[in-house]
Amino acid sequence: MAAAGAERLIRPLLVLWVGVISALPMLRLGLEGLSPSLPGAPQGLAGLVFSDPRVWRAARRTLLVAVPGTCLSVLFGGAGAVAIGLCKLPGRRALAFLFVLPMLIPPQIAALSWIGALGPSSALLNALGLAPPLGTPHPLHSPEGIAFLFGVQHAPVVFLSLMAGLRRFPAGLVEAARLAGAGSAAVLRSIVLPLLAPSLAAGASLAFIAAIGNFGIAALLGIPANYTVLTVLIWQRLAGLGPAGLSEAALMSLLLAGFAALALAAESLAVRRERRYVTPGATGPAPPLALGGFTAAVLAALVLYLAVVLFLPLAALVSTALVPASGVPLSARTATLSNFVSVLFVQQNTVVAFRNSLLLAATAAAILVAVGVAMARARLPKPVRLAIDLPYALPGVCVAVAAILVYLRPLPLIGLSLYGTLWLILIAYLARFQALALKPLAGAAARLDPALEEAARLAGAGPLRRLATIALPLLAPAAAAAAILVALTALNEITLSILLYAAGSQTLGVIVFGLNDGGAVGQAAAVSVVSLVLVLVLMGAASLAARRLPAGTLPWSP
Amino acid sequence: MPAPTPRRALLACLSAALAALLSGSAAAQPLSGRLVLYTSQLEADAQGTVDAFRARHPGVEVEWVRAGTNALIPRLRAEFAAGNPRADVLLIADSLTMETLKAENRLKRWAEAPRGGVPAEYVDPEGFYWGTKLITTGIVRNTRAPMTISSWNDLADPRARNLVTMPSPSVSGAALIHVYAIVQNPALGWEYLERLARNGLTVRGGNGAVMQAVAGGERAFGMVIDYLPIREAAKGAPVEFVFPREGVSAVTEPVAILSGTRNEAAAKAFVAFLLSREGQELASRQGFLPADPTVSPPPGFPDPKTIRVMPLDARRALAEAEAVQRRFSGLFGQ
Repeated sequence: MAAAGAERLIRPLLVLWVGVISALPMLRLGLEGLSPSLPGAPQGLAGLVFSDPRVWRAARRTLLVAVPGTCLSVLFGGAGAVAIGLCKLPGRRALAFLFVLPMLIPPQIAALSWIGALGPSSALLNALGLAPPLGTPHPLHSPEGIAFLFGVQHAPVVFLSLMAGLRRFPAGLVEAARLAGAGSAAVLRSIVLPLLAPSLAAGASLAFIAAIGNFGIAALLGIPANYTVLTVLIWQRLAGLGPAGLSEAALMSLLLAGFAALALAAESLAVRRERRYVTPGATGPAPPLALGGFTAAVLAALVLYLAVVLFLPLAALVSTALVPASGVPLSARTATLSNFVSVLFVQQNTVVAFRNSLLLAATAAAILVAVGVAMARARLPKPVRLAIDLPYALPGVCVAVAAILVYLRPLPLIGLSLYGTLWLILIAYLARFQALALKPLAGAAARLDPALEEAARLAGAGPLRRLATIALPLLAPAAAAAAILVALTALNEITLSILLYAAGSQTLGVIVFGLNDGGAVGQAAAVSVVSLVLVLVLMGAASLAARRLPAGTLPWSP
Repeated sequence: MPAPTPRRALLACLSAALAALLSGSAAAQPLSGRLVLYTSQLEADAQGTVDAFRARHPGVEVEWVRAGTNALIPRLRAEFAAGNPRADVLLIADSLTMETLKAENRLKRWAEAPRGGVPAEYVDPEGFYWGTKLITTGIVRNTRAPMTISSWNDLADPRARNLVTMPSPSVSGAALIHVYAIVQNPALGWEYLERLARNGLTVRGGNGAVMQAVAGGERAFGMVIDYLPIREAAKGAPVEFVFPREGVSAVTEPVAILSGTRNEAAAKAFVAFLLSREGQELASRQGFLPADPTVSPPPGFPDPKTIRVMPLDARRALAEAEAVQRRFSGLFGQ
């Protein structure tokens, strides 16, 4: 390909960008594991950390909640995908949309909502006369509670992975089996399920990594129960010791990265099996199976599940936000907007958090989509693609700790340290969410017909003109979808910002956690309600932008 | 302290002259710049304090970090170790912590601080820190609780089994002082804490978390600082605050200036504001017992003169600090 000068420059620039934003921090984190280098780190720190019983207890607890949580996600997500993806049900699109929604509720908000829904002061349970008696420990303040919430929160991940698998349904094989006289049960058992196994494995591995890297749920439910997992222990060490705890935090986040690597290895084994067994033939969306008399029962089960995982916690969240003090039952007489007024107009800390999170989400989205458009059109070598994917694939704490490691010391030339500023959070977001922005863009760029650009080039259009008149208009819907996906994720992000914030750079996730920690649960709920409304607005905007994009571009329209 | 060299002495003279010049002009010129506050006040209260201060000194930008006193101090120490303390002013629960920081030369002396109507027993006689209010630790009771409470010993009653919680002394400064006061009280002592442990008392987070647990009905009783339940009860929360007959423990929420402050003028203005009549009236409006006895206490409090405070030997508490904290952790698995 004879490229013009500008285009020849793009690739090295992109490689440099990925190097600085992603590869450098990841390498720095890896090096820190080999030889702790920070001031204050004693010789043989790795030995000290890994012989610390608290670290191993936290590691064991991480697995003890993540493994059952992942099993629940597979159960819920798998059942949902079979029902919605394979069966003939009314309103499948709406059901799929609702099924994915829990994933878009940020974990700290989900935890806060569920705490309100199931405690001894739960308005709903009290109205039903089902509330646990006074003095009952909160049922969710327990490892079982954490695992349950992981299960609910990450079920959509498994669901989406299976739905993607069902879009490549081996219709040819099924038809062949039918012609050979196989019944529905036999087709399901011997063709559909084995072929979906790799998608299931991919979903399960994603759910597992999300669970071990989760901070919001693990902190809100685990801290009152004195049940500390690795993400919370890393936060406690960094919050308690500041930069002095950094080396230890790095070693612990490498331990988490190790768990994630095991899950990814298991997944890649499963994917390799898929390649071995799939035979060529027609593939496409699975034809829905008629359920006959079971339709109503399956539909009822789905609606019940959605009511429990969506309506119950969200109703509790709203009622917590509307009462003037904890423990006051919600009624027409007690309802007040004082919590909303307080967090939106009075308290500088929450107002600053709204500003910071909106700013971070918008900036990260704009930068990542601009870079992503260039990346999607350039063919990047495999190591570069790996460097883009790694910060998204690993638990978030790894990215946060790596960012502190690289940027703690004052920057060369300007002599300022980014530690404790909004810039550091932005840099970490850029590393973390690049893969998220790239995915819809790469898909759209791959569908572009190269003949269009070729024709324009032959007609004498320069690279900028071709970008503006051909690539951009065609990539615009995908770019909008990518931007909104990034903004949506960054807006309520907590795992990275809880480790990176300082006075003045708190985010929405941090402030919800802090208000809840200080006992101002009503205000935490009010901030949560407002940020969920923002999420809904963004989702609506994204759905408009992506109307003509293929299914699966937006996670909530599989 | 390094030995004075001629050059150092010259520098000291110059900076003293400059400081005199600056403080002379400070009265005339409005204050400005950034002031970083580390505080154990809850978000909403810290906001109220900062807003009132800024109404008086609009030129000063205030940033703050909030955490429990005993979670804040390790962070501050880490910053000292890194040579980059960000804080200018500390507003934390107890004077014992201030005493430790003062001994480490971390606080700035200001002997001439105007303490307004705040009594002398609230302030450090050497001028390193100043108590701003009286915050006592008593008992919060959920109004659905099966029994009423009048004594600390009621919490060890079989009817309160598994129904009691308290804040962690490793988070809350007031809770640590409370533990010292109980341990030093011959009528209670370790024997009392051991009875509580056998009765299923749990330790969790800060005072906000305890308040939340009792208001939300996860626990029926909690040891907690006074103003949270008194204020929440006024808003309708199903709780009441009890001053047990043996007395309460108390902290004074002192304020101090860090010796490494980068905005001394604003830091001093902040201290002076908290001690002024205006600052004390603000404390009362926020629901705290003000240190200044001439400022009327907030509604819901008894006459401050009737509040009985358990005695505390600060010297003994400091000497036993580590042993007490270790024994407490062993007892409650913190």
